[in-house]
Amino acid sequence: MSLPSRIALAVALSLVCAALLIALSGHDPFSAFAAMAEGALGSPHQVGVALNKTTPYLLAGGGVALCFRAGVINIGAEGQIALGGCGTAATALAWPIEAPLPAILLALAGGALVGAAWAALAAAIHLGRQVHEVLVTLLLNFVALLLVQQALAGPLGEFGAGFLQSPRMPAAVWLPRAIPGLDAHPGFFVAVVVAAGLSFLLWRTRFGFAIRVAGASRPAAAYAGFSVARLTWGVMLLSGALAGLAGGIEVLGVQRRLIEGFSLGFGFKAVTVALLGALEPLAVVPAALFVGMLEAGALSMQRQVGVPSSLVAVIEGLTMLFVLAATVRRRAA
Amino acid sequence: MMDFLAAAIRIATPLLLAALGGILSERAGVFAVGLEGMMLAGAFAAAVAAWATDSFLGGILAALAGGALVGVMVAVVVVRFRADNMVTGIAANILVVGLTSYLLRAAGRGGRPPSIHLTPLPDWPIPLLADIPVLGPLLFDHPPLTYLAAVGCVAMAFFLARTQTGLTLRATGENPEAVFASGGNPKLVRMLAVVACGGIAGLGGAVLTLQQVGTFTDGMTGGRGYLALASLIVGRWTPWGAALACLVFGAADAFGLRLQAFGVPASSYVLQMAPYVIALLVLATLGRATRLPAAIGRPMD
Repeated sequence: MSLPSRIALAVALSLVCAALLIALSGHDPFSAFAAMAEGALGSPHQVGVALNKTTPYLLAGGGVALCFRAGVINIGAEGQIALGGCGTAATALAWPIEAPLPAILLALAGGALVGAAWAALAAAIHLGRQVHEVLVTLLLNFVALLLVQQALAGPLGEFGAGFLQSPRMPAAVWLPRAIPGLDAHPGFFVAVVVAAGLSFLLWRTRFGFAIRVAGASRPAAAYAGFSVARLTWGVMLLSGALAGLAGGIEVLGVQRRLIEGFSLGFGFKAVTVALLGALEPLAVVPAALFVGMLEAGALSMQRQVGVPSSLVAVIEGLTMLFVLAATVRRRAA
Repeated sequence: MMDFLAAAIRIATPLLLAALGGILSERAGVFAVGLEGMMLAGAFAAAVAAWATDSFLGGILAALAGGALVGVMVAVVVVRFRADNMVTGIAANILVVGLTSYLLRAAGRGGRPPSIHLTPLPDWPIPLLADIPVLGPLLFDHPPLTYLAAVGCVAMAFFLARTQTGLTLRATGENPEAVFASGGNPKLVRMLAVVACGGIAGLGGAVLTLQQVGTFTDGMTGGRGYLALASLIVGRWTPWGAALACLVFGAADAFGLRLQAFGVPASSYVLQMAPYVIALLVLATLGRATRLPAAIGRPMD
């Protein structure tokens, strides 16, 4: 069976399991799925919501895909996204610029830089001390989330807000609702361009070739003269910057302030879409759209049919497991 | 001081049970990244079952079953389909977060979770021993699952070092081909080890709901599974080492709580980082010195 049909089968199986769960809770699966589709695609506004939700998963997922391709299991996107949002908010508040474009670019650069720095810390511990990257990135996620909370409890917090959030961003850095009629910020198109860029990088450059060789066989990469350590640095910094950018765009485009937990679970969804896209940057686009639409549709499913929206996390987890089971032969090759 | 040490033991208990399960899985050659999900499934099953049957024993059995069920899922994907251990564990964790949240709401009315209130398991002072000055209250005046963790630690050490099955399990983690050549079934050993890991880690989750909190909330394990994973690595895949590491993490957490209670002007968020930062520091210090089971993460053909 070809790879796309294996993945389609995995998605279908997880949707069947979800339907069974819906039926188990005493609801009609078909009306639940219909409400979900309606919620994701039913109006231009809803499509815009889905595109906005897709954006951070796509940006961070592309970076994760590149890491996994190189055999670097980077689970750190969760912390890098949160810190990236924090970096963007801090930059925008610390250096207010009147003109929108430079203000936005500077703020997003700040976020990407912080995301990359956090990934660099993970890479340094992993490579310098031979600690497994999964463990390093997972543990650093918790530290990163607490750092964001600390920043919000201290210098970045809004006085008297009652909960952990920053003041509103200056209007100059708000991402415009640029897509006519859709109520979506332009982040989605940035993310698609980034995905195309990553695809070019992976398939048309020496760096990308090294990634593919190292992912297939570390000894082969070393024999061919590629430094696996430098490669690891490269993919970690790149994916950290993209995750930071994802967090920054979420802050400027959706929340317009830094709120505690604004990106909860984003990093794990990035892993989901990377796998669902078979670690192929361009295929991560439809994968991220699928997850983005699930998320956008889930709330209206809960409102209209009464099926709890946490069903989405079930579908995501099941899809990951089925995709993992269905695509091993290719990944091992 | 005594309160502080008792708090460290209390915090270490769920970690230790999960770590003991993880040792089984990793010694058999399967990375135990799914510990977080196994704990959460155990915590959920224990709370719901104890609430529905009004019996703690029911809760504990359900925790075993709930954790083992996650173990079955991981085992099938990892051993049968030979998928990446780490990513499969993460996937299982995501699934369990969603599934427990979904099932809890489906069990209630109108999409709202039922309110579960359990009386946390009381302390069981051990007669005579609990009367020893200083040591008695510290070591022999705990709720039942804490004793279970301590006994489990002894049992796990004995099982791994002194039984035929324990030897086969360790051999499967080091050299599964040799186990196969000598007539064993390494795939079956790995499957069973991961399922047992799930059950034991599920008990760790039950500690949270039955013994400490008295209810279930979404994602309540909050990274304890990952700390348990770190502690079994820091403890070099031995039950005693893992127990020591869990106590250190527990002490770090308890120390932070103490400081706050005494009004020391340190930020609670920074203090909460302590267990994770200490875990990273210890892992980085040990560095290369930690020797993994030789065949861990490598699928069998």
